[in-house]
Amino acid sequence: MCLKQVPAKDAPLRLAADQRSIREDVAFEINEPDAFALETGLRLKEAHGGEVAAITVGPARASQALREALAKGADRAIHVTGDDAPRLDPYAAAEAITRAIAGEKFDLILTGLQSDDAGFGQTGVIVAELQGAPHATIIMQIEPAGADRVRVKRELEGGFFQFVELPTPAVLTIQSGISKIRYATLMGIKQAKNKPLTTVTLEEIGVNPSLNRQVVEKLFAPVKSKGTTMIEGGAKEQAAKLADILRHQIRL
Amino acid sequence: MNLVVIETKSAGKLNPASLETIAAARELGAPVAAVLLEAEETPLAAELARQGVERVLVARHPALARYSPDVWVQSLVQVIGHAQPKRVLLPHSYQVRDFAPQLATRMAAPLIADVIGFQGEGFVRPMYQGKWSAEVRAANPETIVFATIQIGAFRGQPAAGTAAPIELVTVSPSPSLLTAEAPFQEAKQAVDLSQAAIIVAAGRGIKEPKNLELVKQLADALGGELAASRPICDSGWLPMDRQIGSSGQTVAPKLYVAVGISGAIQHLVGMKGSRTIVAINKDPEAPIFEVADYGVVGNLFEVVPELVRALESSPA
Amino acid sequence: MEHPKIDAPVLIVGAGPAGLACALHLARLMDAAGLAKDEIYLLEKGRAIGAHQLSGAVMDPRALLELEPDFASDPALGAIPVTDDALLVMTEEHAVRSPVTPPPLNNHGNYIINLPRLAQWLGAKVEAAGLNVFTSFAGRELLFDGRKLVGVRTDDKGVGRDGKPKSNFEPGYDIHSPIIVLAEGPRGSLTRELQGRLQLSGENPQVYSLGVKEIWDLPEGRFPRGRVYHTLGFPLPTNMYGGGWIYGLDDNQVSIGLMTALEYPDPATDCHNLFQKFKTHPYMRDLLSGGTMARYGAKTTPMGGWYALPPMTGDGWLVIGDAAGLVNSQRLKGIHFAIKSGMLAAESVFDTLTGKGTLAGYPAKVNASWIRRELWPVRNFHQGFEHGLLAGFLNTGLEMLTGGRGLRARYPSRPGHERMRKVDKLGPPPIEVVPDGKLTFNKVTDVFHSGTRHEEDQPCHLLIADTDICHTRCVREYGNPCQSFCPAQVYEMQIGEDGAKRLHLNPSNCVHCKTCDIMDPYQIITWVPPEGGGGPSY
Repeated sequence: MCLKQVPAKDAPLRLAADQRSIREDVAFEINEPDAFALETGLRLKEAHGGEVAAITVGPARASQALREALAKGADRAIHVTGDDAPRLDPYAAAEAITRAIAGEKFDLILTGLQSDDAGFGQTGVIVAELQGAPHATIIMQIEPAGADRVRVKRELEGGFFQFVELPTPAVLTIQSGISKIRYATLMGIKQAKNKPLTTVTLEEIGVNPSLNRQVVEKLFAPVKSKGTTMIEGGAKEQAAKLADILRHQIRL
Repeated sequence: MNLVVIETKSAGKLNPASLETIAAARELGAPVAAVLLEAEETPLAAELARQGVERVLVARHPALARYSPDVWVQSLVQVIGHAQPKRVLLPHSYQVRDFAPQLATRMAAPLIADVIGFQGEGFVRPMYQGKWSAEVRAANPETIVFATIQIGAFRGQPAAGTAAPIELVTVSPSPSLLTAEAPFQEAKQAVDLSQAAIIVAAGRGIKEPKNLELVKQLADALGGELAASRPICDSGWLPMDRQIGSSGQTVAPKLYVAVGISGAIQHLVGMKGSRTIVAINKDPEAPIFEVADYGVVGNLFEVVPELVRALESSPA
Repeated sequence: MEHPKIDAPVLIVGAGPAGLACALHLARLMDAAGLAKDEIYLLEKGRAIGAHQLSGAVMDPRALLELEPDFASDPALGAIPVTDDALLVMTEEHAVRSPVTPPPLNNHGNYIINLPRLAQWLGAKVEAAGLNVFTSFAGRELLFDGRKLVGVRTDDKGVGRDGKPKSNFEPGYDIHSPIIVLAEGPRGSLTRELQGRLQLSGENPQVYSLGVKEIWDLPEGRFPRGRVYHTLGFPLPTNMYGGGWIYGLDDNQVSIGLMTALEYPDPATDCHNLFQKFKTHPYMRDLLSGGTMARYGAKTTPMGGWYALPPMTGDGWLVIGDAAGLVNSQRLKGIHFAIKSGMLAAESVFDTLTGKGTLAGYPAKVNASWIRRELWPVRNFHQGFEHGLLAGFLNTGLEMLTGGRGLRARYPSRPGHERMRKVDKLGPPPIEVVPDGKLTFNKVTDVFHSGTRHEEDQPCHLLIADTDICHTRCVREYGNPCQSFCPAQVYEMQIGEDGAKRLHLNPSNCVHCKTCDIMDPYQIITWVPPEGGGGPSY
């Protein structure tokens, strides 16, 4: 399963000098959607056997996230590392993952829906394209469906769901909140030290920001140009004016 | 020329998000074409032709009866190859997020997701849960650029203009590798407020759990979801998955109505990215008014019932 | 309930400077002797090492020089040498620089340290040395065999608010160890449990002060890096002991704060609000204008001195650092003691493991070291202020002339909460500063800026023996001071559905400062760690 280390939920984020990224001197943690993907992988292993490998494309600090994945029960980890890792766009990151796992055979590749920092939400699907594998997104349940096939439950908009069957190897992006995330136990953390963690450098596999297909030119504070319009009058008047605004200006 | 990929609602109607995407495309200035994927002829193409586009492309094939990513991608590759647009815009919906990254990658192009505006050659999109905005552009100016438009970021409105020409485009997708069953509805286990276009949230100002009924009425009248600030969920008046704020969900809907919410910063960070914020509170100094677009200082027990009445007597 | 059992030769609870120094020094001693160290456990309740260390401190380097002689030149630590210091005496309008900086506040040769960073820096070395630091694991309960401490039980994870296990429930571990080092920081909960169970205390009760602080981003050049200012006077009246500080950090940041002794008479005293008032002083207003508040934090510090130190060793255990009360309240320095006591503890532990000695040898090491040489002459310092500032200064002068003795061998003192007077004996409550959201902030906003987060669905970690007291006796006698003394607005008296006031708790705001455990006049509040991983993120 693919995971990403992102700034902690409430870390104060400050702009780096280049104005196009965030300063790294904050606390980091596993991207929450990826934690759900990991949980899904671990449950599949518990139900059906097999092995869970965790991979991340990130700078040196990201190995901590992999160790957490190992502590929770992943069997091995792959760290695709390099200082440039935070500057890779979803396509380049997907390339890095694909090249790092070339030659391995996985039945399922799981990712979270999107990262809580950049929030592009594409890396999983791009990995599917690069691998030439089928994919499905926003998955809530996974079950084997015969040899080399899985049956998954997709979430659609508006409270709709859908069952889909697809052949493996396949890539699935996992919906958040589908189960409680397990805690790493003391023994798990201890045992994680002895599990294999292989490191591959971005340089070794020929991935760097020049592969990016999109570039963040700059980051800026969201512009809030409007002031507050206070609606006057008694309750009835205010309600009438507000209803009018809601119907006509906001067009509900 | 900019191409808009239309998404339809399951009942064969134009998804409002598609109209918003057309509006976004028109803001770019260049001629707009729209592409519709369907299995057999419907009145949709004609309806689409009157929405202020220059051209309508229709891809019609039995395999398009039910969505699957591989069929959609193959078909759109052919349509895009035929139309040769500079940009392809799609609504940032669940379905689009399922196939668009594959489509863009196959065409060696970037997909800039969740766009809320344009700046010169670049696209503006939120990052870090809305804390920052980013200006993003294609690394290579020669390629097509794909962009998904955030739901509610642009105002789309059905029009009845002059009919644009409709052109049929041949597509020949291979059968999907996926076998999809019919979609079905189900009570969701957990509420994903981040997908709601309209949210009405209750705060401590409602005083007692029985007054939630009032706020729910407002949510229903607006067609929105009910949510709450932390104290309400802490007290068990609403389940924790309805909580908005730093320890709950972060949302940025089209409309957020804060009823009896003071606006502690823990709550604000969960909703200040909303497109339009309306606040109803009896305290004129409440911090919520600093982020609100429209503020009503008053007694919510009087204002909300009146508002519900006014909304119900003037349906959309 | 079944608790999985682990046996460890050594267990250290708390990965602050004391626990980490102990671990690092022990690792080196073990390496030198060729002994295996992979079963040594170090527990830390914070989400990450350093999360619960409150930053912006001034450290005497003597201990760190012993542990890591090259610390000053390591940019990863970023220790800032103090360049100049001064004492500002503040009245309502003015701030007058004292012509002579009192020797205890002379920080020449000291360093301004970012404490979370120090912890992370030491933590990296501890991990590189092969020891396991288990973050997000709190020591919840002690395990005894008679009077012998045999182990620590860690927190249960995945328990719902109703007390029932959730689907991801994991029971706490019973870590059995013959050598347990408690390095929990001020008012450590396990240390309290130990002292309660074994009836341990110093000759004087331990007393504490609460430090409320913020880190601000200021315009370029406003306050130089390395400058250390301490303040006396405004906003504290003469019957309250305390003072403020301003430290110049890197990147145009300053650490500012106000420390107030938790032995004030008026129950309506709100230290958080006093700190907001501090910022309204013209000097502070000018200092902070154009700046933005970046981070908030609050934590208590032991102030009792030598006579308030409880026994530091017993059957199976040692207590080190702030948990043992090792702070020089006159100089406001404790980090060096934390590190030194950790190192001495490591030596005792090593001696015990190799059969060369026992844990009982630890106090002798402390007595023979510069810890005692420094703390002994100031043993009556804090207690000298029992009768106000003026008396305090006179006593201090006298103590300096008599090598710390002053008027008598040991100045007696009372626990801070006993000094709180009942409301009927006091005048109107102090006027509160109304936060403006730019210079001054309310508690809830400040808590947000401390990065405090807890799993919401868990049992409340504040154990209150009898909540009826809150709305029957306390409301009459003391006016519910919990609402005032908690710097995170955890405690609120709210009008319930029956129209009566009831105690309402917001435990997820808790910044783990322990003020409630210390100051509640009926001593019915017991602070225990919430589920590991929760708390501030300094």
